[in-house]
Amino acid sequence: MKILRVNMKEAGVRWEPVSAEYEQIGGRALIAKLLLNEIPPDCDALGPHNKLIFAPGLLGGAVVPAAGRLSVGAKSPLTKGIKEANAGGTGGDNLGKMGIKAIIVEGQGAPKKFYSLVVGDESAELVPADDILKTGTYATADKLQEKYGADSTVICIGQAGEQLMSGAGISSTGTKDQRSNHAARGGLGAVMGSKGLKALIIRKPAGKIKFMDEKLFRAASKTFAQELIKSPKLGTKGSQHLYGTAAIVGAVNEMGSLPTKNFSEGQFEPSVELRGEKLRELVLAREGKMGARCMPGCVIACRNLFVDESGKPVVGSVQYETIALVGSNLGLGKLDEVAEINYMCNDFGLDTIETGAALGVALEAGLAEFGDFKAIIGLLKQVGEGTVLGKVLGCGAAATGRVLGVRRVPVTLGQAMPGYDPRTLKGNGVTYATSPQGADHTAGNAFGARKQVNPLGKEGQTELSFKLQIIAAMLDSTGMCIFARPPIIADPQLMLDMINGIYGWGWTLEDYDRLSRDLLRTELEFNRRAGITQKDYRIPEYMREEPLPPQNAVFDVPDSELDSIFDTL
Amino acid sequence: MAVDIEIFGQLLPEQPRRRTMEIEKPETARFVAHAIGLNPDEIGLITINGVQSDLDDPVQPDSRLCFFPYITGG
Repeated sequence: MKILRVNMKEAGVRWEPVSAEYEQIGGRALIAKLLLNEIPPDCDALGPHNKLIFAPGLLGGAVVPAAGRLSVGAKSPLTKGIKEANAGGTGGDNLGKMGIKAIIVEGQGAPKKFYSLVVGDESAELVPADDILKTGTYATADKLQEKYGADSTVICIGQAGEQLMSGAGISSTGTKDQRSNHAARGGLGAVMGSKGLKALIIRKPAGKIKFMDEKLFRAASKTFAQELIKSPKLGTKGSQHLYGTAAIVGAVNEMGSLPTKNFSEGQFEPSVELRGEKLRELVLAREGKMGARCMPGCVIACRNLFVDESGKPVVGSVQYETIALVGSNLGLGKLDEVAEINYMCNDFGLDTIETGAALGVALEAGLAEFGDFKAIIGLLKQVGEGTVLGKVLGCGAAATGRVLGVRRVPVTLGQAMPGYDPRTLKGNGVTYATSPQGADHTAGNAFGARKQVNPLGKEGQTELSFKLQIIAAMLDSTGMCIFARPPIIADPQLMLDMINGIYGWGWTLEDYDRLSRDLLRTELEFNRRAGITQKDYRIPEYMREEPLPPQNAVFDVPDSELDSIFDTL
Repeated sequence: MAVDIEIFGQLLPEQPRRRTMEIEKPETARFVAHAIGLNPDEIGLITINGVQSDLDDPVQPDSRLCFFPYITGG
């Protein structure tokens, strides 16, 4: 395997062998180790010393169902700490097939000079990107796939990333109509923009990966796929497949945890119109598509192609977090409205969670009324236009709160909370308040995790979050989608057999657990050296003091528990 | 006194999503599920008045009771 190092100052590329230290880690774990080793943690996230890293997981290239995600990481301009975000699409598997362990983008060229990086099996070059500047992610991907082939993967930023907005994500093309898969969180799009990199094009790989024990791999991979298909959550009769991630809208609302009107309430009456059941009904009636895939061979197929009343595609795919943050959180109760905002965010290259939270704060400041769709669209358009207000919104919820004088800002570590209010789903609150990734549900999502831990109680939440954070770290290092975790949790040997079948490392469960814990330790150490203290991770004061209706709960897990969560890591 | 019942997702697809059921004394969620023809094995999550609950938890008259299929957060 090899590493591609890209120097933006010299506009040069270099291939390197993989050193022993990095050989047995991938995805998020590799990113963490590289960042800790190679950049000063207290550096300017948008300066020349930060590095942007693309890394497939350990399963990348093996075409395991739901396991071709691509990790992207850097120091975050939002959290000022370490950040990894991963996306579906075809990039992870394609890099894996090429034997590319990581692409490290470093240095900084002349301001506002942008390039595209074109990567093939044995080739890499930077080419000027002047013709695709100020262009949204959809048109950028269309143009580049026209040039480099429809079977290439285009990973790019939109206007938000070009303008270094810290709410910017990175978009990747996927299979068929799933044109926009975002490594959304933490402002990584702004880091890509700061490097002067508009797009990364991964050409169709010529080869496939080699297996050390193909029989072992195939047997485990087959069983894993069968278990996914049989799963009552994930299989063809399961809610994740039938309704997509929106399957949980009704339940989160019922439990009083659905972000509503800038996280001021936990239930949104019109959310009945935002449910997965409604999504399925609308999409099928309009001859759109349910059961779409972002990655080839995924058997869960939780994506959709949302179409308008005339059957014209609007966006692929409307998902839970977006429904929560730009729907109920903005007082909007129609999926058509959510889909339009979703498309705009995707096209500008914005994280829908961060942007939805920023807009919620702006509405609380009185810039428009909750539920006023036209006014909200008007605000969002300003992000693409690059007005001063647009730049503020594009920099996320914390920046918007500071500028507009709003103190109820739903963030931890500077990053917006996703679609679960921490006051009524306290396990997630613990994850937001302790994960080195900041407020990020994918770092350890407690929703529906364990019946024995009451989401409203404070007991058992730190233990639950701790376990979930280790599982998330494990998955994020392999490229496996977090939804695909049930068969692996039930039988971790399946994961070990797949990894050992590819690499022949003879890993045991202890090895795997040790590496997952080491990942978290590395990230925590990076943040410590970046100057982040435990107080920076805290749930905002108002959420600890102001009860959230209708459950009238506050976040009350004691700081002492939060501060000691990693004592046994 | 009636329990306000709502069923979600693929549970009992041919039946109305929302209904009421008269009960005179506290019953369990399992009792209600059985009464409306719901297979307990297909239930992934139960809430009583918005609180995550178990099949054998009591349901008071005037409660809101929701049955969800197996679902997962991302």
